[in-house]
Amino acid sequence: MRSGIHLLTRGRAIALVASTIALARCSSNANAIRVGSKNFTESLVIAEIYAQALEAAGMTVERLFNLGSTQIVMAALQRGDVDLYPEYTGTALVDVLHEAPLRDPAQTYRVVGEAYKQRYDLVWLQPSPMNDSQALATTAALAANYAMHDLSAVARLAPQLRLATIPEFTSRPDGLPGLQKFYGGFKFADVRTYDIALKYDALLSGKADVATAFTTDGALASPRLVVLADDRHFWPPYHVAPVVRAGALAKNAGIAKTLDAVSPHITTEAAQRMNAAVEGGQSPADAASAFLKAARA
Amino acid sequence: MSGATIGFDDVGVRYADADGDALRGVSFDVASGEVVAIVGPSGCGKTTLLRTVNRLVEPTSGAVLIDGVDVRTMDAVALRRRVGYAIQAVGLFAHMTVAENVGIVPSLLGWPRDRIDRRVDDLLERVHLDPKRFRDRRPRKLSGGEAQRVGVARALGGEPGVLLMDEPFGAVDAIVRAALQDEVTRVVRDLGTTTLFVTHDVHEALRIADRICVMNGGRVEQLDAPAAILANPATDFVRRLFEGARA
Amino acid sequence: MNYLATHPAEVLSLALAHLELVAIALAIAFAVALPLGIVAAGASRFSPWLIGALAALYTIPSLALLAVLVRWLGLGATPVVVALILYAQFMLVQGVVTGIRGVDPAQIDAARGLGFSERQLMVRVALPQATPVILGGVRIATVATISIATLAGYVGARSLGTLIFNGLTLHQNQMLVAGSVATALLAICADAGLRALTRLSEARLR
Repeated sequence: MRSGIHLLTRGRAIALVASTIALARCSSNANAIRVGSKNFTESLVIAEIYAQALEAAGMTVERLFNLGSTQIVMAALQRGDVDLYPEYTGTALVDVLHEAPLRDPAQTYRVVGEAYKQRYDLVWLQPSPMNDSQALATTAALAANYAMHDLSAVARLAPQLRLATIPEFTSRPDGLPGLQKFYGGFKFADVRTYDIALKYDALLSGKADVATAFTTDGALASPRLVVLADDRHFWPPYHVAPVVRAGALAKNAGIAKTLDAVSPHITTEAAQRMNAAVEGGQSPADAASAFLKAARA
Repeated sequence: MSGATIGFDDVGVRYADADGDALRGVSFDVASGEVVAIVGPSGCGKTTLLRTVNRLVEPTSGAVLIDGVDVRTMDAVALRRRVGYAIQAVGLFAHMTVAENVGIVPSLLGWPRDRIDRRVDDLLERVHLDPKRFRDRRPRKLSGGEAQRVGVARALGGEPGVLLMDEPFGAVDAIVRAALQDEVTRVVRDLGTTTLFVTHDVHEALRIADRICVMNGGRVEQLDAPAAILANPATDFVRRLFEGARA
Repeated sequence: MNYLATHPAEVLSLALAHLELVAIALAIAFAVALPLGIVAAGASRFSPWLIGALAALYTIPSLALLAVLVRWLGLGATPVVVALILYAQFMLVQGVVTGIRGVDPAQIDAARGLGFSERQLMVRVALPQATPVILGGVRIATVATISIATLAGYVGARSLGTLIFNGLTLHQNQMLVAGSVATALLAICADAGLRALTRLSEARLR
């Protein structure tokens, strides 16, 4: 059946499309440096550090935070809607470039840097020492008791220890089975799975001796907890660095200079403290400005 | 307005998805103002023949003429507005009032409002529905007989020269049916509208029609006045069909 | 709920932005779906393909679709509106096709026999009769669109999703709850309004 009903609405539809596009465009400032972030605390805080550092250097910044996924940020970056955002070397290698993980931090940084420049015309500025990797943590007291400071020690002492973990850790190749294969040992006396929010409570209340963790978890800022060093580099590195459009760098040399000066200060411990502060209710902007103040002093 | 003449000239219809012919070599003329019933068993082609007149079915051979003009040369939509059409299922438009239904063809023809109103009232009175009570009713609120009357009134809305009816009294009980047959016959005779109507009920055909066209297997078996068919059935088929109707 | 009480202006402004996204998307989506549904209703060979394709479109994960749209249209409201238009097609076209196919065949035959052109048949008989079913599709699409419009928070556009995703990221449960409750309220109101409209359109057929 034919009909011309759509004729009635066509003019209106065009007007609506035009107004939508206008709506999307009205906030953009042509000269601003557009800083993006992904949708988790640490990405937001580090993006805020970048933004405030650039502003302190006299540049205008537009914040496009909380973008939904790596894919979306990459799409925005390639299109030029975002100029830079903090990314992790391990995420770039595995999730964006779809390569097998590498153990050496410098090699990982080099590989993603070259591939990004070649494929996307994106530049990795200097990485931070901060590494947001998987880890095992224990209490400061137990670490001292057992003289247990790295994973090699845990592998050996495991039959005397109880592990608190999350369900996927017991089965994933980058979890317990991988550790057992790579380090040997790691036969824990007991393995209990907990909700991700409760595993540190298990540790602190003495229900477990070792817990799985991410190295920048805010909870690890507590002096009662310590991260056990991955001394043989089982887990791939996740160092954070600003990923910047080559075009934006060429237009504004101040970006590289400013961010390269800030990045060395972003350590794992600093990230832990900021994550803890934001989880405790501080705004990412306040956490970032406190960090920058300390870094300048 | 007086009725138009209808001519069937060697009309044949073959449906793309069927084996045999739906109609074969149908030829007869209907005079102005004449009422002709088409009777026969299911699948004999009577509905197909009716629908060739307003081009709901296009003949694969032969021609249908209205007032001597081949209907294929006319715009189908314009043709249908000049040819009334009423069906067993009635198909009153549920979102329109009775008056809107009856006035629909005049409104498609672009008649002025007051002329449409007069026409609607006139037709409702002719089919014995009080315009005051029925004009603004919705079709769902009508009885079966009332709906059939509105269906016929709607078919006559645009002052057609030809009225086509397909089992127009099929869906109502016997008493209402007899009354409807009388009323409708009187209306079309008053208006002088040439009428073709399909029925499987030979009593109905005998009661209303000037002539009866008996069909079987896509062909016309006999076409004659009711008395002549009863007196001289042309074939065994016709005799059997009208057996028991003589009394 | 405290967040609603302490930031009423912000929640209201985000709710209005949310409604604007939904209204623009639905207006365009309906303008596309109506002719598409009319064509599909009359073309029995073509319609299963079309409905199948629209169903497949509906199952694309929103983050993946948004990533593609951002690549093409940039950040902001535009990719969200386009995603909403695409997602709504399935429900809207389905409603139009079902509505038109459900019209009493006797009325279609009568209309054709009385001399309605195909266009008049559609505008004056089929669509008025199909209206309650089409409105049912609009209602489902509206509720779905209100909920999917929270995705604007993922691509730097303003909607109640901004509260939800900020709340999630910053562990601010009150913000998250305020965004979710406001979104649910919008959906419930839209649903009730369209239900009433559907009942009204049904009453016209009785």
